[in-house]
Amino acid sequence: MGKRLKVPLAVGLGLLAALVAATALSSAAVSFRSAERDGARVAEVLIEDRVVIVVRTSAGGYTPLERAEIVANRLRGALSEEVTAEDVQAGPVASGHGVFVANRLIVAVYEPEAEAHGATPDALAKLWRDNILLALGLMPPEEEPAEESPAGAAPAEDAGPQEQTGSGPQVEGPPAAQETALATAAAAPPEPKAPDWTGTAQKWVPIFSLEREGVRIGFAQVAGPTGQVEKVKGVAQLRLDFRKIGRIYAYIPVSTISVTKLDRVQGVSVWALADVKVLNF
Amino acid sequence: MTRVRLIAVILVLVGLLGFGRAATKAYAIDLGDILKVGGVAFLVSQYDDQIDSFITSALGEREAAAQGATKVVPILSLGGGGYVGAAQVVGNPENVQRVKAVIQVEGRFGSGRAQLLVPATTDKATGSPDRAKGVGVSAVVEFRI
Repeated sequence: MGKRLKVPLAVGLGLLAALVAATALSSAAVSFRSAERDGARVAEVLIEDRVVIVVRTSAGGYTPLERAEIVANRLRGALSEEVTAEDVQAGPVASGHGVFVANRLIVAVYEPEAEAHGATPDALAKLWRDNILLALGLMPPEEEPAEESPAGAAPAEDAGPQEQTGSGPQVEGPPAAQETALATAAAAPPEPKAPDWTGTAQKWVPIFSLEREGVRIGFAQVAGPTGQVEKVKGVAQLRLDFRKIGRIYAYIPVSTISVTKLDRVQGVSVWALADVKVLNF
Repeated sequence: MTRVRLIAVILVLVGLLGFGRAATKAYAIDLGDILKVGGVAFLVSQYDDQIDSFITSALGEREAAAQGATKVVPILSLGGGGYVGAAQVVGNPENVQRVKAVIQVEGRFGSGRAQLLVPATTDKATGSPDRAKGVGVSAVVEFRI
């Protein structure tokens, strides 16, 4: 009996140890915290003990700390698998630039955030990309020297002796990040394949939203390339408040009906809306 | 006879008062509409870029940003007349650049309603709108006026 148990127990323990070791090797510890820089409250995202991203502005109704938490969660998810230097990219997104890990958007950089760093969205995205690469022990790509460097962008990302209020280790930023940022500022970002927005096919799909007065059954007519329109299962309606002057209803054609994750189908847009009131309250 | 005259005078006065009240109400509605239309036009011209960035940023945070050019333009009501809101349009950069407004055609059927949103290359809601090809609506903005 005892001998019978020994073998599977040893195998089990061996597998467990291998799993723990593999996890430790493949996933870097990602954290975030609130900090103060240049007299302003900011939020930092760290890999191990290195600050890789500093969020200075609110966006989309999220505070810098909330944004840092979102970024840290995405980064943690992306780094749960082994990544190479080629997996970490900076590239354009609509109206800005973004940092991608294994084709997953980690953080989008728009004009207000870039301005707060004294940089362009392109330069800031590349700086954050390089910071991530350096924190992972990978080499940033060598690119053409910049004609104009983004003044003030790089030093802001390197963690100096700052006041820190959140949990996490004291850090010393990567000195190479500044040089890398200056070198990458003017390089052209990789162009993603642009979706075709022509409305060659149309169909009506349900709108789903949890934020309307009464119960309404809504429908949207979406249009786009045939293959893309076929993927659309519904249109998610997202309600946003713009200051106190406007209410925005964003319509997102999605391939799965889920209230937690929006799988946007690119190249498809809304042409018409219809709804029927079935209940008032 | 005197009583008849008195009743006639009262009826005329009441009639005049009613007409005056109706006229005042009609004037107030017109003025309100004019102010609203002017207010929407002003807000769109003032905040178009900020609203555009706000929407794009909000969608980007949810990994749902559109991979295309975007722009915020006024919504013109066909039939209703004037500016009734704003819309973010999305599509190919060269096509988005040509969009001047979104023409809204609204219809009602029983307890339902339908809105056709046509990105147009002109900002006049007359005749048949000149649809901007390769552009659709991404978001609709209602102003609190």
